[in-house]
Amino acid sequence: MIRNKYILIAFRLVVGGMFIWAGVSKIIDPLGFAQNIANYRVFPEGASFFLALVLPWIEVICGLSLISGIFRYSSALLLSGFLVVFLVLITVTIIRGIDIDCGCFGSLSGKVDYKLILTDSVLLFFSLNIFFSHKADRE
Amino acid sequence: MTLKKLLLQIALILFLGIIIGLGINFSLLQKYFLGDFRFGFISLDEYTSIMFITLGEAEELFLERNALFIDSRPKETFQEGHIMGAVNIPFEEYKKEKALDLIFLPPEETVVVYCDGSECNSSVELAKVLHKKGLLDIRIFFGGWVEWTEGGLPVSSEK
Repeated sequence: MIRNKYILIAFRLVVGGMFIWAGVSKIIDPLGFAQNIANYRVFPEGASFFLALVLPWIEVICGLSLISGIFRYSSALLLSGFLVVFLVLITVTIIRGIDIDCGCFGSLSGKVDYKLILTDSVLLFFSLNIFFSHKADRE
Repeated sequence: MTLKKLLLQIALILFLGIIIGLGINFSLLQKYFLGDFRFGFISLDEYTSIMFITLGEAEELFLERNALFIDSRPKETFQEGHIMGAVNIPFEEYKKEKALDLIFLPPEETVVVYCDGSECNSSVELAKVLHKKGLLDIRIFFGGWVEWTEGGLPVSSEK
């Protein structure tokens, strides 16, 4: 795990910035995002709708929290959890051969593909490093 | 940091997200419970020229020859079989080739857009594009190809 203070700050800015951007791009079009979630054919219609209204706000709050430093460890843990779920969802979608937009950045989203797995894996790595740095802070 | 504190903070973030998300989108939530989005997540207040129609209504428009049927499925699927007289605007292919801008239809034309059935979304996406192009009467036949063929209605194929 990375312990360099400056690298960890850079990780927080990157992950925080990405999630604020992702969240805001979905907040402006909740119905479009609801349809994106429904297109994965995993969640029932009601769950897709509820997630579309709520998830972008949680992403923005976590992003702000990572950048500001308030609740940064819990935000990093929560975002790591989200990223693991996203990775599973993307992999399952690719295996099922469903050709859809990922919905990650609202109308600017790309397709669900292997590049997305790479992006999310890098973000997960950054996010886990931020979370585990709480041990170093304590020492 | 203790586990209890960590979980408490996560709960607080989730709670805040839920409250803000549901609060700001309260009007959408009301519409959802009133059944506005049962065919797809599209605001009919925003897309005023779009209407969802049933198999019966689609059949009526077909028999009256009053509407242009547009099939939004991929070209190959269209060639295998489609509603008789329908034209093909393969939404995904056109989107990829950035060809959606090239579509031209007279604004007063009544169009019926369809794809496979309730599982597909390209008819709704194409209808949104046609709305932006100024068409005034767009009907989405949500039952699509599946309902049409189950109903034994006229079809044709290019093969």
